[in-house]
Amino acid sequence: MTKIGLEIHLQLNTLSKVFCSCSTKQVETPNSNVCEICCGFPGSKPVLNKEAFEKALKIALALDCKINRVTFFSRKGYFYPDLPKNFQITQYESPIGINGKFRGIRIRRVHLEEDPGALVHKGSYCLVDYNRSGIPLVEIVTEPDFKTAKEAREFLRELITDLSYLDVYDKKSDFGLKADLNISTTGAKVEIKNVNGLKDIEDALTYEEERQSREVPKNSETRGWNAERRITVLQRTKESEDDYGYITETDLPVIEVSDKLLKVIKDSIPELSKEKLTRFTSQYKLSDKDAKVLSNNKRLSELFEKVAKQVDPEIAAKWIIRDLVNQLNYHKKTLDQANIKPEYMIDLLKLFEGKNITDNTTKQVMIKLIKEKNFSPKEYIEKNNLIMQSSNSKIEEWCEQAVKDCPQAVEDYKNGNEKSLNFVVGKVMQLSNKTANPDIVRKILVKLIRK
Amino acid sequence: MKAKEYVEKVKSREISAVKTTKGILNEIKKINGTYSFFNAISENLALELAERIDKNPKGKLAGLPISIKDDLCVKGVETTCSSNILKGYRPPFNATLVNNLIREGAVIIGKTNQDAFGFGSFNVNTDMGIPKNPVAFCGVSGVSPTYGLVSRYGLIDYANSLDKLGPIAKYVEDLELVLDVIKGYDFKDSTSLKQDIIKEKEVKKVGLIKETLDVDPKIKDIILKKLDEMNVEYEKVLLPKTSKYALPSYYIIAMAEASTNLAKYCGMRYGQEGKVNLPFNESFSEVRTKNFNKEVKRRIILGTFTRMAGYRDAFYLKAMKVRTLVIEEYKDLFKKYDLLVSPTMPIVAPKLSEVNKLKPRDHYMMDVMTVGPNLAGIPHMSVNAGFYDKLPVGIMFTANHLNEKRLFQVGKGL
Repeated sequence: MTKIGLEIHLQLNTLSKVFCSCSTKQVETPNSNVCEICCGFPGSKPVLNKEAFEKALKIALALDCKINRVTFFSRKGYFYPDLPKNFQITQYESPIGINGKFRGIRIRRVHLEEDPGALVHKGSYCLVDYNRSGIPLVEIVTEPDFKTAKEAREFLRELITDLSYLDVYDKKSDFGLKADLNISTTGAKVEIKNVNGLKDIEDALTYEEERQSREVPKNSETRGWNAERRITVLQRTKESEDDYGYITETDLPVIEVSDKLLKVIKDSIPELSKEKLTRFTSQYKLSDKDAKVLSNNKRLSELFEKVAKQVDPEIAAKWIIRDLVNQLNYHKKTLDQANIKPEYMIDLLKLFEGKNITDNTTKQVMIKLIKEKNFSPKEYIEKNNLIMQSSNSKIEEWCEQAVKDCPQAVEDYKNGNEKSLNFVVGKVMQLSNKTANPDIVRKILVKLIRK
Repeated sequence: MKAKEYVEKVKSREISAVKTTKGILNEIKKINGTYSFFNAISENLALELAERIDKNPKGKLAGLPISIKDDLCVKGVETTCSSNILKGYRPPFNATLVNNLIREGAVIIGKTNQDAFGFGSFNVNTDMGIPKNPVAFCGVSGVSPTYGLVSRYGLIDYANSLDKLGPIAKYVEDLELVLDVIKGYDFKDSTSLKQDIIKEKEVKKVGLIKETLDVDPKIKDIILKKLDEMNVEYEKVLLPKTSKYALPSYYIIAMAEASTNLAKYCGMRYGQEGKVNLPFNESFSEVRTKNFNKEVKRRIILGTFTRMAGYRDAFYLKAMKVRTLVIEEYKDLFKKYDLLVSPTMPIVAPKLSEVNKLKPRDHYMMDVMTVGPNLAGIPHMSVNAGFYDKLPVGIMFTANHLNEKRLFQVGKGL
């Protein structure tokens, strides 16, 4: 039976690094966002970033962990070129949280540590960039409770969603989330080190499960994930457990989590995706599918809830959960990138709700809203005369013209081909610059042709 | 001349800081070849600081020449900890202590020799030429203040939980003056204290630590004679746990911490470089093998051993527990006594030829008097108590946390 456990590393979205005041912004020039502390220069000392500690605590609480009220940091010793001090400041005996649970999976521990630098391989040599060194990482270790790769991926997706509600994690790139994967099937336990991003994590697990059915591992081993070839590769077999020679990091004081701090952090935890899902179905009468899409996306649900205050939720659901999401996917943009102002979306959907613009216009304007910056739908609609025309005389004019322009389609319709009417309707829409109310157009056209 | 008098004369422009500095720099240059006191002479920095003071003589230490031990970072001045591995390293920042000294007008003249990374008692484990006059046996005064009173930011770590910074000077008054400048909370050192030294300075009752009198009888006599002269009430006290366990615990903790602190020296970022056309592990090993001396390697190996899985319970974690017991033992005595007294060292300064015959364990035994207070983080001060065959004997006073004023009070009276 397959057993999978994850050791997840997430970069926290703090303003500054975990033990110095360097910014956490991603910087292009290598080794330009560094200081004596994150480069481990002799004599420099770490100072704990309060924001990082509190965000780690928030995660531990959200994952239902028991909080260690007295907690401290340790040095984990190993030599590696990306590790400036050749030890990592992490937590060992006293992680911030232990014994939690999330989505039915048991959480063994949650702790705070520093990210090492990054190795940049260039042909025959390798360079080190310490810009990443000291970015706060939270490590979340699960028990081996997953039975399939898919379960693990789904868990991670839900975890990330909730972390975004907690405002502790921004998905900048796949490198913001790494995991070590432990998987055992029928043989010994295998660890796959350092896999980036959800897709690769699922693929590495799927590959490994299949591989182990062919070659049952006799000894524990550590493997790596080759992202290009999509396979795992043996790194070393483990005769004994790794020995990191942990000792206390006495440059940092022991931290006591006070009742007050605990309460403040607990109170700061917002409604998470699971509760949102329930509320969305009852409050807005959304379908399970719509509610799920919405609760899994922080920005989308924020946009929806703002719009649904002023527009019929059913209309908001159709346009935001379905059409907007489809258009974003089609244009390969995230909601963050599109950065749509809720007021603009409200303006647009109010016009639609009041039957002032057609379906088609709504859709076209929404695409512009996705693609263009500071695009005001109201101004655009007014400027381009896109207000829906329902006046019969005006529409009749366009219809008469259309019937003249499409004799073949009219003939076909008369001969019983119902679909050919659509062609004529399309012509009217073209003539009206898509502003004609399509229901009225149909009625008039039918009347005109049957005359 | 005491430092305070000198500073006042600089302020009243009776003495020129530049002239003093030049004189000192010339003297150092003349004798340093023979004695290797200094690893680096910061001539430019010293003259710049002295000129600044002559123009505007201000500060508690205006124009006072001060040398900095080579384990403290001075911006732009070669800082090596007396180890080859840091040869050529010029820190890009000042230690907080150095900034504090400069702010009060001190003139930084150079970096003094030491045992490499602080490992030793006789200054023979240095890679920078053996100084002929080790500081521990010089007959001067020195104070090691309460842990956290002086910021360690910019101190190249030996053992983070034990390292303390304090001044060495001829007079106790000078110690007090300099400590006043370098102490104080520093947000860059998370172990730095927000509390200040307490005001109480009266010394009514003193405890003489019985176990520390098991030394050369002549040293013991000098200590007892000094105590009698002091005219305070004293009696013998016992520190059984500390006497038995402080030394091994101290060395276990110190070496465990040191072995992690020394990991960063691998030739990649500062100091001596290794070959880059090797796998990193081989390159690191090459630099470390070549540039660490024997004592440094011994401590890395011992320290790494004590924190390995399977041994850390028996050594490192146990030593941490013993440390708590040692602190409690001292705290109990301070309920009854204002100060504790002992010799500073178990022997007088040995000849270099004698030191070379000592085994590593004999070296470690030299710290038997000072490890207790260091484990407990309590302040202690050594002053000259007399001479034995013309060699100085130090007497050590130990006080409760933040009771430095009591130490100075007694020291000034001697």
